[in-house]
Amino acid sequence: MNAGHRSARHLASRNGASICRSCREKTLSRKPYSTAAAATAADNTAGPASSSHIPPVTATAAQQAYQVRAGVVLSRPPLITRDLHPFEKAFFLYQRRLNERLALPFTRYFYVKKDTPADAEWKRKMKKRLTPARDIGTYNAYGNEGWNDEVLMGAQESEPEWQVERLLEDAEAAVSGGGIGGESGGAKGLQEGGQPAVPEVAAKAVVAEPVERPMPRVTEADKKGDLRSLDRLLQRTLYLLVKNKDGRWMFPDDQIVGKENLHQAAERVLIQAAGINMNTWVVGNAPIGHFSFNFPKPRPGLRQNVEELGGKTFFMKARIMAGQANLAENKLGFTDYKWLAKDEVEKAVTLRYWSNIKNMLAER
Amino acid sequence: MALRELPSKARSSIWRDVRPCLFSAKPCFNRKVSTSANHLEDLESSSSFSVPPPSEDIVKSYDPVAQSKIRENQLPPSRYQFRPPKYYRGPLHPHQPPPPSDPSSRLFQPGPFTLPRLQQTYESTIAPDLLTLSYAHFPPGYKAPPKQQRLRSWEGESPYFKNRPLRGPRGGDTLRLLTAPKTFRNIPKITGVTVHSMVPEAAHDSANLHVAGMIIQAITNVRVQTHKARSNVTQWSLRENTFVSVTAKVEREDAFHFLAKLIDIVLPRIKEWKGVKGSTGDSSGNLTFGLPPDAVALFPEIEVNYDMYPPRMIPGCHITVHSSATNDKDARLLLQSIGIPFYGKFVN
Repeated sequence: MNAGHRSARHLASRNGASICRSCREKTLSRKPYSTAAAATAADNTAGPASSSHIPPVTATAAQQAYQVRAGVVLSRPPLITRDLHPFEKAFFLYQRRLNERLALPFTRYFYVKKDTPADAEWKRKMKKRLTPARDIGTYNAYGNEGWNDEVLMGAQESEPEWQVERLLEDAEAAVSGGGIGGESGGAKGLQEGGQPAVPEVAAKAVVAEPVERPMPRVTEADKKGDLRSLDRLLQRTLYLLVKNKDGRWMFPDDQIVGKENLHQAAERVLIQAAGINMNTWVVGNAPIGHFSFNFPKPRPGLRQNVEELGGKTFFMKARIMAGQANLAENKLGFTDYKWLAKDEVEKAVTLRYWSNIKNMLAER
Repeated sequence: MALRELPSKARSSIWRDVRPCLFSAKPCFNRKVSTSANHLEDLESSSSFSVPPPSEDIVKSYDPVAQSKIRENQLPPSRYQFRPPKYYRGPLHPHQPPPPSDPSSRLFQPGPFTLPRLQQTYESTIAPDLLTLSYAHFPPGYKAPPKQQRLRSWEGESPYFKNRPLRGPRGGDTLRLLTAPKTFRNIPKITGVTVHSMVPEAAHDSANLHVAGMIIQAITNVRVQTHKARSNVTQWSLRENTFVSVTAKVEREDAFHFLAKLIDIVLPRIKEWKGVKGSTGDSSGNLTFGLPPDAVALFPEIEVNYDMYPPRMIPGCHITVHSSATNDKDARLLLQSIGIPFYGKFVN
């Protein structure tokens, strides 16, 4: 052992408490095995007095280790599109009107033959909205006032709900046009030409064959505030959180047993925690995040002669396709569950847990 | 020798002593965006959305058309009726065309008009899952082994081998694409779709080609391009220089809408369709499959006015999905995740 080594070892052992464990071990065990063996041989030849430096080969003290746990981040992906920002709505309408100005005229006679009920319907609609597009409001792109394409304040043209209503109105009118075509209803509407003919036809159509409306974007679970329902917050990713014995909200997790790997452990945890009434898919074999904690006091572990300092949870990603969680027969001691979006998870869990899990949860 | 090492050891040990107190002082001066409390707020505190709207009477009295009619002196047309030059005459010419993003440019294409559902699903669900699925762990400090030279050198005694450009790889003279390690930056995504329809009957009757063009245009929302036969093939009744096919190159928003229509409406209704053959692909991430004429007729745009198309003239088509994946395996995983089934033996 040379002077440099000796001084480094000395310094390291002097302030061993302030450096990290792996660095400390690296510094202290820098001596390769070959030199250790040589030193042993040398000591043996010199005499038994100096052999006290060599550490014993077998450790009698309990080995210290961390529990390895598998957690499951079970999520329900967003089911519907997100709400658009007001700027996006305005931008999309502006681009649609711009397109109407720049595009070639609609090839009307390819789609609508002359002197048919469909032709009368087409003329009636064009008179009303001045453009073939159904969802950009009353706007004449080819006229002298085509430049006037900005939406005035308070106008509803850029709202998706308004546009859906216009499309449905159009579909209803189409139904009525086909139905009344035989009895010259379309021609009558044209002759009158005024506004009153239009709502009359539309109202008739609603009675005759109502067009199916889209489902509401806000569900009953949202209105009731039912945190256990999977039908809430359709635009967001929902995560399954469970309440453990200590009353803390967390992702379901359990210690890895035997030789099972993380993927198998995640599947087992899902079944043991939330029942078999769920169709789930554990995504991939690699964890997406981890969380480690220390016990207040080291405690004996599952294996013999092992003392556990704490736990390290590795989170596996999983998706729920169908079904619902059921904690009635769970073996892991969970008492309650919730389906929460990311910002609600933040309020439910402890600060330390949140700082470890926040980067693996999706914003939307 | 050992003594020479001493100063550096001492320096590192002193640094080790000092470091903990430096790190405890870190939060004070080492500020990060992610740790600051208000990192989600805008850089500018005031936005036009938070400013109160103008008063009711201003809103009611504002009428741009009436204002323009009141104006006594109309603006000279040259001010607002700008027509860009038809030909580019070089950078030194005084009359330069506007950039393609300018609506007055001849190259301007309006859009996007919507935020497609498939695109939102890709961003929120599919892309993170693909990254999780294809994650490969490398321990810290791992260095990828250096890549071998992919082109071969010329071995031999011949004097002509000296300074000769390197030989191509065995079994072909093109180099395959390399697949980089997966990160959040290179998750495979759909870059476009090409819809192609070849109509050999167009050699006799061009109506076939016109109908094919209208149909491809209707289902893709993109203007089609026509192609001539490059050579005579008598078995396929192809004559050189006759128009035989149409293609539509679909990108961005249109590609997402087209794929969504295909996956949600058309493919589930094809009778006894097994899926896309597993051996498809050009081994660089572009997968092709075909649709028969009766499947093309299932597109909603064709179905609503099916009678408008001449009978028995609706063509079949080939659909190529272009992805940013560099091999067929990744591209197949992407297409499977958006809902296209595959069957048979998978060839990578």
